[in-house]
Amino acid sequence: MATMSEKPANVFGPTLSRRQFIKAGGALVVGFSFVGPGLLKGETAKSNITKNSLDPTIASSWIEIHADNTVLIRTGKSDFGQGSTFTAYRQIVAEELSVPFEAITTVIAGDTDRTPDGSGAFDFLGRGTPNIRKAAAYTYQALLDLAAEKLGVPKDKLSVKDGIVSGGGKSISYGDLVKDQQLKLTIPVSGDLTSIMGLTIEGNPPMKPVSEYSVIGKSFKNSVIASKVAAKETWATDVRLSGMLHARVVHPKTLGSTLVSAGQVDKTKFPNAQVIVKGNLVGVVAPTEWEAIQAANQVASTTKWTEWKGLPGNAKLYQHLREEADWKTAPVAKGRADKGDAEAVLASAHKKLSATYQLSYMKHAPIGPTMAVADVKPDGTVHIYAHNQNPQELRGEIAMMLRSTPDHVIVHSYPGPGHYGRSNGGNAGAEDEAVILSQAVGKPVRVQWMRADDMQWSTQSPAAFSDIQITVDEKGKIAAYRIDHYMPAMQDDRPIGAVLAGLPTMPAPDVHNDFITSTANNISDPWVYAPVPHVMERGHGTFQVGQKASPLAVGLRDHSMRTPGQFQQNYPRELAISEAAAVAGVDALQFRLDHANEERAIGVLKAVRDASNWETRPSPRPDAISTGSTPVRGRGVSLMLRSGTYWACVCQIAVTPSTGVIVVEKYTIAVDPGIVVNPTQLKRNVEGGAVMGISHALFEEVNFNESGITQNNWVSYPIPTMKHIPEIKVVLLNNPKVGAYGGGSEAANALAAPAIAAALHDATGRVLRRLPLKPAYVQTLLKT
Amino acid sequence: MTTLIVNGGRHEVQAPDDTPLLYVLRNDLQLIGPQFGCGLAQCGACAVLIDGKEMRSCVTALSDVAPNQEITTLEGLPTRWAKQKHVSAEEAQNTLHPVQQAWIEEQTPQCGFCQNGMMIKATELLESNPNPSVAQIKEAFTTSGVSPNLCRCGTYLAIIEAVQHAATIMAKGR
Repeated sequence: MATMSEKPANVFGPTLSRRQFIKAGGALVVGFSFVGPGLLKGETAKSNITKNSLDPTIASSWIEIHADNTVLIRTGKSDFGQGSTFTAYRQIVAEELSVPFEAITTVIAGDTDRTPDGSGAFDFLGRGTPNIRKAAAYTYQALLDLAAEKLGVPKDKLSVKDGIVSGGGKSISYGDLVKDQQLKLTIPVSGDLTSIMGLTIEGNPPMKPVSEYSVIGKSFKNSVIASKVAAKETWATDVRLSGMLHARVVHPKTLGSTLVSAGQVDKTKFPNAQVIVKGNLVGVVAPTEWEAIQAANQVASTTKWTEWKGLPGNAKLYQHLREEADWKTAPVAKGRADKGDAEAVLASAHKKLSATYQLSYMKHAPIGPTMAVADVKPDGTVHIYAHNQNPQELRGEIAMMLRSTPDHVIVHSYPGPGHYGRSNGGNAGAEDEAVILSQAVGKPVRVQWMRADDMQWSTQSPAAFSDIQITVDEKGKIAAYRIDHYMPAMQDDRPIGAVLAGLPTMPAPDVHNDFITSTANNISDPWVYAPVPHVMERGHGTFQVGQKASPLAVGLRDHSMRTPGQFQQNYPRELAISEAAAVAGVDALQFRLDHANEERAIGVLKAVRDASNWETRPSPRPDAISTGSTPVRGRGVSLMLRSGTYWACVCQIAVTPSTGVIVVEKYTIAVDPGIVVNPTQLKRNVEGGAVMGISHALFEEVNFNESGITQNNWVSYPIPTMKHIPEIKVVLLNNPKVGAYGGGSEAANALAAPAIAAALHDATGRVLRRLPLKPAYVQTLLKT
Repeated sequence: MTTLIVNGGRHEVQAPDDTPLLYVLRNDLQLIGPQFGCGLAQCGACAVLIDGKEMRSCVTALSDVAPNQEITTLEGLPTRWAKQKHVSAEEAQNTLHPVQQAWIEEQTPQCGFCQNGMMIKATELLESNPNPSVAQIKEAFTTSGVSPNLCRCGTYLAIIEAVQHAATIMAKGR
């Protein structure tokens, strides 16, 4: 039995109201809550808070301070291997609350019924102010207010160390401050829970000065690594529900085929298997996984589909994009750095570089194919168990598919194979299919895609090309720069099973969709060469290749992938800048320094120059040669600004002209993210990204014919092995005066390609402008 | 009915003879260390040790395993190490194989999905070569098996460092 008194207190705009419980025995675990009186700009987050999600305006939805001095944190962002939720987020909260790292004993991430804010597993550090930092900062102020009252000491005379508030000769722990109470702190929140960006905590609570940091900057270990390594972690692949059936999906024969007739299960061989057909979606379920696999193969062999040949095939890809794609209907995006009159200067220039750069389609290619378990209950409640980058958006998509509402859908998040952006718009591929099949059989269903499904039916990073013109003046400086980027729509968030089954989805990419799923191609590579007097950047977008021609409205579906859009724009820019340096007869790294005026850009360039023992001279090297069977060495450099972080990299390669084989021998990368939160974790992320960068530059290209993707395994879609890794050197530039934490996982994968292509030019004197730099392509081009 | 020796224990399994070992381990024996990566022996995510040799459980049929062969999964690495070092089974419960310890200390995994196979391969290597060079490590993970062990997150450098670290721990005994 409890009695209650409420007393409001001011916490930087938001209101702390207190319910003092006088309890008959037993301590009450207490948190804080947020309500929305202070919602900014008239926005309300309340409208899309549903029954099965925590109220994001209540502080205890984010952070719980327990009476035993332990702390629990929650985030909608599920971990995809970067570890930020288990390291950086703990460090940030510990820092803002002034508690030890170890006090944060529990991290809950991604479950839609147990986390407040949604959004995707990207941009974890939120350009310095992730939601969790603000939640902690608000909470800290509330705790100080409580302590001031309890101790009878003015707030400004209090200090906190290790979760103990002290002042005026008195002290009290956070645990004692909250014991036996229920405190409700309300904070302002805006946004749309089931959208790609989720909710954002608004307002400006005071943050701890960087100069007082003691937890951020240290290499705490990622707790989930220990449980994964010891086989103690439950992965999405491990979820087994009572009565669950295993399923495989028989995907259409082509990216435009419709179902003529589904095959029958041979009951003599597979007595327990069953075919489920919904529109063009054909699934096979069975009690055991092996029976499901075999029965699905048998059913696939007798299922009939219409033929379709509506794709250009990759031999004609760039011709198709240049000559046939519709670049007229999407609005042309303009660069924020545009200035002067680049067109006029280029028109009158005598000496200019004018070239086209091309990047192929690439797969996200998770090391395990996508899978999910779904359980559709008789009352219409849906539980999904998956590894997903945006569980709240998935929830919205499944509700839409079932013509239901998000409060009927709960997504449970588990670890799984990283897929680098594929599901940041809510689905990776199997989730919706599992729901459709579960609903059909009235039992939980586990859909596991096979390797071929994952290669041929998932989305891909879009191909792109760019036209660049640069003119260099007599002083060896860029006088004018113009770039036109062309890329099909990058974000198709329609669940493929729903599309095949003919169930409701969000629209296919189109001109008038919201900015994420529209056909527009925005300028996403920030300009870093401010002194250039005439600059013009244009982004041209179009529909996905085959999307309009496919009877399924499918075609080559695209999705953002690690450093999305910016990779497609930075590669041509940075290779062209290296080429412009060669035109000017100036060293490529010095040329960049000559055209940069931002201190941090200059800082990473100098760091990478020194760490790589860069020899200052123009490219190509004096003895460059494009023939022969002796390996020739060269080096190249690239520069990028992404998510508040400056990056530069130097690649040294050896290329054998007669075979076209490129070996990356040394890879040096410098990164200035502002404040380095966790040096070891950042270093490991950068190393991994660097290897993926080599993969993008040398290996990765989606092959497709007129009907669909022709690759179906790791032999036909190769990625680097351990023998391909170079000597890797990572230089972390901790830059506290920036006052923010920038991203550290993306960009590393995008820097390699322009540096390697420039290194090839340095070694051979020949510029190859199409990725990937596969041996056959390199060999052929060097011969001509 | 097939009898399997897994991680030192005998298990009776009711599954068709042609069932890939991977599904028996994961679905019948609840051993979740090995993962399904490709089903084609092209990536190594499903690797187990069979009599100390790294094998791909996704293409190893139940009937391919002889009755006296010993299967070790990721879960069984601590016991395997304990047995080699004559540590009691109880004590082994509270420890990890040096390879696992090194994987944690070097913070090797990113997503971690391939790392089962990486740790199995590392164990196979270190049991035959306690002090491998970088070249030997690269050879082990690239050409010694039926396919290279693939990592999409690009953790190869961290794996090399962890193998070297594990060798140091093993040299010290435990």
